[in-house]
Amino acid sequence: MKLIDPHIHCVSRTTDDYQFMARCGVVGVSEPAFWAGFDRSSADSFSDYFRQLMEFEPQRAARYGIDHYCWLCINAKEAENVTLSRQVIALIPPLLKHPRVLGIGEIGLNKNTRNEITVFEEQVDLAARHDQLILIHTPHLVDKHKGTSIIVNILKNDRRIKPERVLIDHCEEHTLRLAKAAGFWCGLTIYPITKATPQRAVDMLETFGADRTCVNSASDWGESGPHMLVDTLLEFRRRGHTEEEATQVFYNNPCRFFGQNPKWKLKAAAVDEVRGSQ
Amino acid sequence: MTSAQGTLDQYFLEMRMRCLSLAADLDRIQRQPGGSALIQGDPNLQLLRQAIGLLFDGQADRAQRVLELFSDKTPPPKASP
Repeated sequence: MKLIDPHIHCVSRTTDDYQFMARCGVVGVSEPAFWAGFDRSSADSFSDYFRQLMEFEPQRAARYGIDHYCWLCINAKEAENVTLSRQVIALIPPLLKHPRVLGIGEIGLNKNTRNEITVFEEQVDLAARHDQLILIHTPHLVDKHKGTSIIVNILKNDRRIKPERVLIDHCEEHTLRLAKAAGFWCGLTIYPITKATPQRAVDMLETFGADRTCVNSASDWGESGPHMLVDTLLEFRRRGHTEEEATQVFYNNPCRFFGQNPKWKLKAAAVDEVRGSQ
Repeated sequence: MTSAQGTLDQYFLEMRMRCLSLAADLDRIQRQPGGSALIQGDPNLQLLRQAIGLLFDGQADRAQRVLELFSDKTPPPKASP
């Protein structure tokens, strides 16, 4: 069965992880720009990072048959520095035509500060002006519900933003309804200590429905890993869901969201195609 | 030696995760037909309720006492005549 990890930070992962993903059937990934675990000192650092996302990681992934795409932005944590953020944002417009860039992301909030909101609004404006898909990072832990509410309200109040072109990621039981009710795509991140476990993710798929929902590992430099996507697939199948249903969640849904950008080449599998592989 | 506060800080997110997992487990049972009644009446879940009560009774040796709660307390088989 073919899989897509719609949110993974390959720059933080070893080549063993690419091999593992390939063995498990992962054929496509998308990598949002994010915080590197430390604050970068200048916009030049981001320029190099964006080149790594657009050029180096797609080459590394291709060796294992994985189609790699990326997103560009200044992340929510470093957005606290508004001056640096504006320098980084200025780098982005010429890069949006790159064949590996799917849109603006992962933008959002971290601690829900005024500076973060300012930079978030400026990046939403950037996306709207350039008609880009948007990938949203929602805050962690105690800040998640408040931050998700702020984000959803900002997006709903901007008439240029089409909800079907926005994915709100890292949703949990207390924020999923908020994002879905407004018509956005949602991401479930299998990152057990601070986000969801495979069991809870499948609970959410069963309770809230799998439409407009993508499941990802968000593997990065923390306690995480590409196996989380596969563990969630196994939990999904263990509960009796068919391979066809699994394909809708773990392959077709990412294809449908990303496929709104014609640069994304993987096509959603037809039902009879999935049945034929069983 | 690590302080109590340091130990709590080190493990709190894992404790939070385990609490969330248990909440989701009970929700999953409750969503099934007959789930609410099962949660109220099932002997294993009644033991679990007692075990959760032990966690915050202020006494030490919680892990040992929870395991004893879940242990078979029937007498051993009688020796063969």
